[in-house]
Amino acid sequence: MSERLLEVKDLSIEIATRRGPATIVDGIDLHVDKGETLGIVGESGCGKSLTMLSLVRLLPNKIRVSNGTAAFAGRDLLQLSSRELREVRGGKIGFVFQDPMTSLNPVMKIGEQLIEPLLYHREMSKAEARKRAGELLRLVGIPGAEQRLDSYPHELSGGMRQRVMIAIGLACEPELLIADEPTTALDVTIQAQIVDLVKDLRKRLGMSVVWITHDLALIAGLADRICVLYAGTVVEDAPVEQLFAEPAHPYTRGLLASIPRMDGEDAERLNSIGGTPPEPGRRPAGCPFAPRCPMAQEICRTTVPELQPLRGETTPHRVACHVANRVLEAA
Amino acid sequence: MTAQPAIAPLAAADDATVSLWRDAWTRLSRNKLAVASLAVIAILALVAIFGPWLTPYDFLSQDLEARNLSPNWAHPFGTDELGRDVFSRVIYGTRTAFVVAIVVTGIAATLGVVLGAVAGYFGGLIDRFVMWCTDTTMSVPQLLLVVVINASLKPPLVNFMEAQYELTRNPFFRNSIIVDFVLVFGSMALILWPPYARLIRAQVLSIRNRPYVTAARALGLSTPIIISRYVIPNSIGPLIVAISAGLGNAMVLESAFSFLGVGVNPPIPSWGNMISDGLQVWRNHAHLLAAPAIVLGLATVAFSFLGDGLNDALNPKGSK
Amino acid sequence: MLLFVLKRLGIWIPTVIVVILGVYALAFYGAGDPIKLIFMRAPGDVAYDPVRIEAIREQAGLNQPFIQQFGNYLWNALHGNFGNSLVNGRSVWSMIAAAAPVSFQLGLLAIVLTAVVAIPLGMVAGMKQNSKTDYVILGTALLVWAIPAYVAGPLLMVLLITILPGSAVPYGWGGIFDAKIILPLLVLSFQPIALIVRQTRAAVIEVLSEDFVRTARSKGLPETVVALRHILRPVLTPIVTQLGLIMISIINGAIFVELVFGLPGLGRLTVGALTSSDYPIVLAITVIGSFLVMASNLLVDVLYPILDPRAADAMRSR
Repeated sequence: MSERLLEVKDLSIEIATRRGPATIVDGIDLHVDKGETLGIVGESGCGKSLTMLSLVRLLPNKIRVSNGTAAFAGRDLLQLSSRELREVRGGKIGFVFQDPMTSLNPVMKIGEQLIEPLLYHREMSKAEARKRAGELLRLVGIPGAEQRLDSYPHELSGGMRQRVMIAIGLACEPELLIADEPTTALDVTIQAQIVDLVKDLRKRLGMSVVWITHDLALIAGLADRICVLYAGTVVEDAPVEQLFAEPAHPYTRGLLASIPRMDGEDAERLNSIGGTPPEPGRRPAGCPFAPRCPMAQEICRTTVPELQPLRGETTPHRVACHVANRVLEAA
Repeated sequence: MTAQPAIAPLAAADDATVSLWRDAWTRLSRNKLAVASLAVIAILALVAIFGPWLTPYDFLSQDLEARNLSPNWAHPFGTDELGRDVFSRVIYGTRTAFVVAIVVTGIAATLGVVLGAVAGYFGGLIDRFVMWCTDTTMSVPQLLLVVVINASLKPPLVNFMEAQYELTRNPFFRNSIIVDFVLVFGSMALILWPPYARLIRAQVLSIRNRPYVTAARALGLSTPIIISRYVIPNSIGPLIVAISAGLGNAMVLESAFSFLGVGVNPPIPSWGNMISDGLQVWRNHAHLLAAPAIVLGLATVAFSFLGDGLNDALNPKGSK
Repeated sequence: MLLFVLKRLGIWIPTVIVVILGVYALAFYGAGDPIKLIFMRAPGDVAYDPVRIEAIREQAGLNQPFIQQFGNYLWNALHGNFGNSLVNGRSVWSMIAAAAPVSFQLGLLAIVLTAVVAIPLGMVAGMKQNSKTDYVILGTALLVWAIPAYVAGPLLMVLLITILPGSAVPYGWGGIFDAKIILPLLVLSFQPIALIVRQTRAAVIEVLSEDFVRTARSKGLPETVVALRHILRPVLTPIVTQLGLIMISIINGAIFVELVFGLPGLGRLTVGALTSSDYPIVLAITVIGSFLVMASNLLVDVLYPILDPRAADAMRSR
């Protein structure tokens, strides 16, 4: 087995509501190996962004980590002092956020925003940092890179802005790049460009990537491994080929069935999963997916399933489902 | 079956409105400062309404035996240099303050709402003209403008009243208080309307382009219905906040003008002219300054906190 | 850019003229016959000598139509001639010139004090929203906002004298380096400070919820750098647009503060002129006050695109 870079154990996140704290993320376990690309997939509101934001304490007000550890290169991120945390943010872990329009400061030039991590982590001089910033923009494929340093964000297109965001995330050559739905706000053609760019950069820089998305199809060609999240829990975790070949959780099957295919026999029909995920604070007693699950049994409504290796084997394919074996047989 | 869907959404909308107000009320009642302010305002309002029955003395009756008394049991706020009971005068001052604040805010808000709605609805040249008027009015220092209006319009108005009296012998025209109030109401309303106009115009503009209004228009709803169903209900929240702040503002202005001698003139008691009188003698008789100043401070602080509480309660988004 | 400034001026100059016209018309039609006003104050029976009055009227150009008189007034005002006082016959300009330095120095100090005190306080309150610090700052601002200058002034004087027995009453003018200026300066700055604290706090809270603040934090910048580089600038932009409001609030306040603390500035000149119905002075000060407010609004209009590059772009495309 390759070396672990990040290992999150039993992470729980809660939100303060008028009726008291409500759990949003419920005991998540996940890990990222060095050089690996992990895709985190789930519907909006399932806690996938919050999980990653919580690692570097960027959670919004009223939302906090209530339990768990997150070992990153041997240290628990959740126990770091604020000074140590600052070294990790931008230095060891780079971020790319969803909407490049709002995630870049509208009143600062791109160059100013790009050199900031270099100034604070690398202690470069302004001139050095600026030179490096130009290289970074060239690295992420922005034409006329050096001239663009003096542009304001609103002067660039959406795709170009997201490239700038990626350049900021990569500025200090982090060991881990967390991309939080980086293509959701972009046109489909631009999405593919950004995916290819990250694929290429990952190879060249040898970093690990966590790519958060709700789009299984998009990530299929990018990720080594995929974690499927539902209602704040990991329901399935498998290398990408295995997940697509034999999805063992009914929710994963539902997600896959909702991807349009041009080659299959029911190309003209799209499947969707009925119902909606549980609201925070109103989680069912057993498996959180049970109320929507077509195969739910009595045990699903009473007992929370553990995340276990599929069929009891020592495979990297793990699933949290009481009826996983039956799901596979039914396929 | 066909009528059913048409009715249901409207009923639902009304329910939503009711619960919105109830929600706002719940939020407001949880804000201790706002509730306390509301209580202070309610007490002052009751004092203003029932003043004549509450005052132990007439606000004009002079008792030259009891001049410049410090507060005591017979005169809770003491007496002034003419032996008038300060407590009674403060109570009558409360009446003046409330009458002026309510009438002025009423005129200013009505004027502002109408002009703002017209500007926002018709747009174009009308809009630009109304907005130019608000900008211009707001760029003249308020106090100076009111001073000029008062100083210039008082003589002709007094002349007019006297001429009317000569003609009709109607004692109404001999009443100098009326001149004071007309001038104060008029000049203050004239400087206070622009914020209301801006507020309503902005509301009309933003609501006019919302998808649900476009949808309503596509359904063939007429303009008056759209305005009464969508524009007005959506503007009431911000308008209430503005009026609450406006009432406090008008009270401060009224006493400011009385203080300068261009507002309500003696013998009508006003907090402002009481403060102005008290300022001459505060070194020897501090209570003459303190009593009206504290009550005025209390009233304006209460309106200010209430306005803030209302803002938080009615715009929950901003108070997050 | 130059075109934009010229365009703004094209709207601005007529507005200034209309405002002066309005104020002038009020005084012209309301105050009555200026000649009679002068003569009513003169000793003897001159006020009742119609022949003499007509002669003077003609000589002073007061029999011309209104518009022509207004034109003259405007033309003369442009050259610093606002006529003469009805009370003592001195030129209004010289009286204003004598009083203005006091008011301008005090007002400028108040603006500086407001910027220096209110923006940091508002920043702190906003960054620590709903904390005790926030409540104390916001509560004090609301309290100060609600207390008028003519109430705060005397009350502070009373307090000062009771707390520090034997200290002199801060009355009169001794220049900006005299300790007597502290109390009037404070009272004058109260309202603008309260205004700006509240606006800064609201703006900070809004900016804090922006995604780009999260981006700044994700870069590992120290919190002070996040506050000063990423939050302060977008917060300052709307604050600067309040300059006109601050001017109005300071002009209003100066009238009371100068009266209460016995400062020989424009405010006291106004009140004095008002009580003696000296219209040329009231008129001149109103014109100058409106001009100052409108000039600061123009300044804000011109500065805005420099502060916000997006506005500059929108302007260029217009």
